[in-house]
Amino acid sequence: MATYSLANERLRALEDIEREIGAILQNAGTVILELSKEKTNERLLDRQAAAFTASVQHVEAELSAQIRYLTQVATGQPHEGSSYSSRKDCQMALKRVDYARLKLSEVARTCEQMLEN
Amino acid sequence: MAQQRALPQSKETLLQSYNKRLKDDVKSIMDNFTEIIKTAKIEDETQVSRATQGEQDNYEMHVRAANIVRAGESLMKLVSDLKQFLILNDFPSVNEAIDQRNQQLRALQEECDRKLVALRDEVSIDLYELEEEYYSSSSSLCEANDLPLCEAYWRLDLDTDPADGLSAPLLASPEPSAGPLQAAAPAHSHTGGPGPTEHT
Repeated sequence: MATYSLANERLRALEDIEREIGAILQNAGTVILELSKEKTNERLLDRQAAAFTASVQHVEAELSAQIRYLTQVATGQPHEGSSYSSRKDCQMALKRVDYARLKLSEVARTCEQMLEN
Repeated sequence: MAQQRALPQSKETLLQSYNKRLKDDVKSIMDNFTEIIKTAKIEDETQVSRATQGEQDNYEMHVRAANIVRAGESLMKLVSDLKQFLILNDFPSVNEAIDQRNQQLRALQEECDRKLVALRDEVSIDLYELEEEYYSSSSSLCEANDLPLCEAYWRLDLDTDPADGLSAPLLASPEPSAGPLQAAAPAHSHTGGPGPTEHT
């Protein structure tokens, strides 16, 4: 499940961390590519290297915070809540609407037949 | 003060393993990157020939680059495991998600029921007119002194002896050709008092 439809900040934060890990690898590649050139652009090199280091530290801090939060919150018991009852009630309401629509269409058809006759 | 709760052994071990994986992967990325940068330095004096040294450095850099990529992929797997753990075990957010879903579904159900009630009120008015039209038209096969069902119901409240008022319509009950509206007739029995069907 890549995305979660309901707002969940922590899952979004983890997705941002995933993107940042990709950016880390890209920065590392750019630095090494730049070093391999005859004439290196030192400013670009410094900038990319600083970005690489900052990203790595940021990712480590964020993931540590998430693991710390989970240590505080996890109970080891399974969650037993569900939205089944309200889903069932809603389904029955939609069935009632469908039934009413069916009956109304029958009445309309009958009226049209009477008018034609 | 955040107290360390007594987690089950498996959960505690799992979270500790997550920490260890995180530290190891970050260390691997930083160390390998640093070593690649160091290896890129060209030295004047080498123990072997320059070509051999170059080949060795090339191979070392390939291996270290592969290590960086492996550590990055391991971090992605760790994030995926954390997401899964969060979805299953983060009770505050699971409770919130369930509450939100319940609210949405209840709102939809109330909307449906409200619209059905409004529809019922409108249709009952139209049905009254349709029945009047039907029973007073020549297509009805009732006798002249027979009342339409709607009239019969309204007369019920005024009659002192309900049985006499209802016997006439009952004797000449509508023919099968009045089928479609007959299905609607019992609906009126729900809105009014005791209907003719109860006397049959």
